[in-house]
Amino acid sequence: MFRGTELGHLVFVALLVGLGFAAVVGSELEQLTPLVLVVPAAFVGIAVALHLFLVITGFRGDQLLLPLALALTAIGLVFVERLGPPHLLLQQVTWALVAAGAFVATILLPRDLSVLSRYKYTWAIAGLALLASPLLPVIGREVNGARIWVGFGDLFSFQPAEAVKVVLPIFFAAYLEEHRELIATPPRRVGPIPIPPLPYLAPIVLMWALAMGVMILQKDLGATLIFFGIFLAMLYLATGRAAYSIAGVLMLVAGGYAASRLFDHVNARIVVWLAPFADELRFGAGYQLVQGLFALGNAGLLGAGLGNGMPERIPVVWSDFVFAAFTEEVGFVGALALLALYLIFVFRGMTIALRAPTPFLQLLAGGLSFALAFQTLVIVGGNAKLIPLTGVTLPFLSYGGSSLVTNFVIVALLLRVSDITMRVRGG
Amino acid sequence: MEIPFQLALWGVRVAFLLVLYLFLIRAFASLSRSLRIESELAARNALGYLIVQRTHAQGPRVGERLPLRALSSIGRDAANDVVVNDEAASARHALVELTEGSWWIQDEGSTNGTLLNGSRLARRERLRDGDVVEIGRIGMRFESQVRYGSA
Repeated sequence: MFRGTELGHLVFVALLVGLGFAAVVGSELEQLTPLVLVVPAAFVGIAVALHLFLVITGFRGDQLLLPLALALTAIGLVFVERLGPPHLLLQQVTWALVAAGAFVATILLPRDLSVLSRYKYTWAIAGLALLASPLLPVIGREVNGARIWVGFGDLFSFQPAEAVKVVLPIFFAAYLEEHRELIATPPRRVGPIPIPPLPYLAPIVLMWALAMGVMILQKDLGATLIFFGIFLAMLYLATGRAAYSIAGVLMLVAGGYAASRLFDHVNARIVVWLAPFADELRFGAGYQLVQGLFALGNAGLLGAGLGNGMPERIPVVWSDFVFAAFTEEVGFVGALALLALYLIFVFRGMTIALRAPTPFLQLLAGGLSFALAFQTLVIVGGNAKLIPLTGVTLPFLSYGGSSLVTNFVIVALLLRVSDITMRVRGG
Repeated sequence: MEIPFQLALWGVRVAFLLVLYLFLIRAFASLSRSLRIESELAARNALGYLIVQRTHAQGPRVGERLPLRALSSIGRDAANDVVVNDEAASARHALVELTEGSWWIQDEGSTNGTLLNGSRLARRERLRDGDVVEIGRIGMRFESQVRYGSA
């Protein structure tokens, strides 16, 4: 089946990556190596191959999500070239290839998505194992103060928390679908406080304990927020009862406050967030955030011009502060367009969720879309000092393999849900 | 560096932003196009309609045909199949259902009730062609697209 809309969008993706590399390399001619010609070409090759793959397999799903994901990935490659040390670019484009492979596998492999809901406890256990794996002695790694990495030698390391972002919505969707008849039963009340039925109450408490564990043992504030956020959002999608989710947020705030009093590494994040310019922080723990804020402040309406700013002053800019770097160089206008791309992506994902034929698929698509939206919010908010800074990636844009692969699996799952919807409806 | 090169570089930077916006506009256009197709499909394949007869300034227009599916919820909330924008309407107000060839309507425990041909709905009632359903200040005539007895 011909996918003209998708192909049309891909032309613009190719232009974007070409012009982006031209601007960056034009600004720093000493970076003119064969690699900067090969990488954009290879990326366009991957994009076209994925498109042709969907055409050949007669795929009927959505035609907008893949170009959106690829456009964001293209901007990501431009900024890895712009910001990172030279070897990162080669690594990132290799990861893009792996991500494309994961995308193809997700489209092809499970014949029927009900496999996902049938083995839901297997998924739950897999998710827990992934989450706990960085704590294991041999393979676990602590990088920049957070114990969230798993590695084998120097060759291979990844962040299991990223994969949990896919596994968790699968499990929750299956679990909440199974207990959906309870939605109609009004909650019992203790005084004015509604107490949810046990099948909802147990996971709320369990997830809360788990989130606290991640925050304390792995020192990863971002993962804590995202796991618990996905869970509360899906609970709301399934039950339509805001009270449960609000209670969850209050539990998280209370737990976070207690943790910040008890544990230094949680407290340090909060202190930096509240006053990064304080004398003792400005050149210490707050330095990264301070430089990020300068970058945002320098941006103005149109920015310094791609390749013309000074974002390299921000430490680890290519993973934590891509948004600030992007904004510094393309300005408010560019940042607005970038956020609009994310918005359209999430809107599309939610539309796919609304139209899906079964509650499981609806919850799955809704949960995955929310995960991406929330992650974007958490890191952009962290860059702008709206909320405490966490180490999560900006989806598709930040340097990082685990994140890119996971996000392309999410795109593939959303496409599959929309494909099923089209086939069921005969549209 | 010489001036022509700097000018060309400036051009490339502007072109990057321009392409970013062109892509955004195209993405937005295909988003809104597919939403429009969806609502047209829903309207064309409707099993029945509620045709607005009486309304107010903020409500739907007179003569607007609100499509019905086999099971349609009516209410003020945007998640309903038929959205009635009236302050007297409950978030989830009433339910219209097609079962074994005949149409039924029931009130979903709304605060201000549903009127069928002028009398307040107490239980599930048959809904026939030409019946008038009133919710708040909005009155709608029911029209079925299904031939009775044949389904």
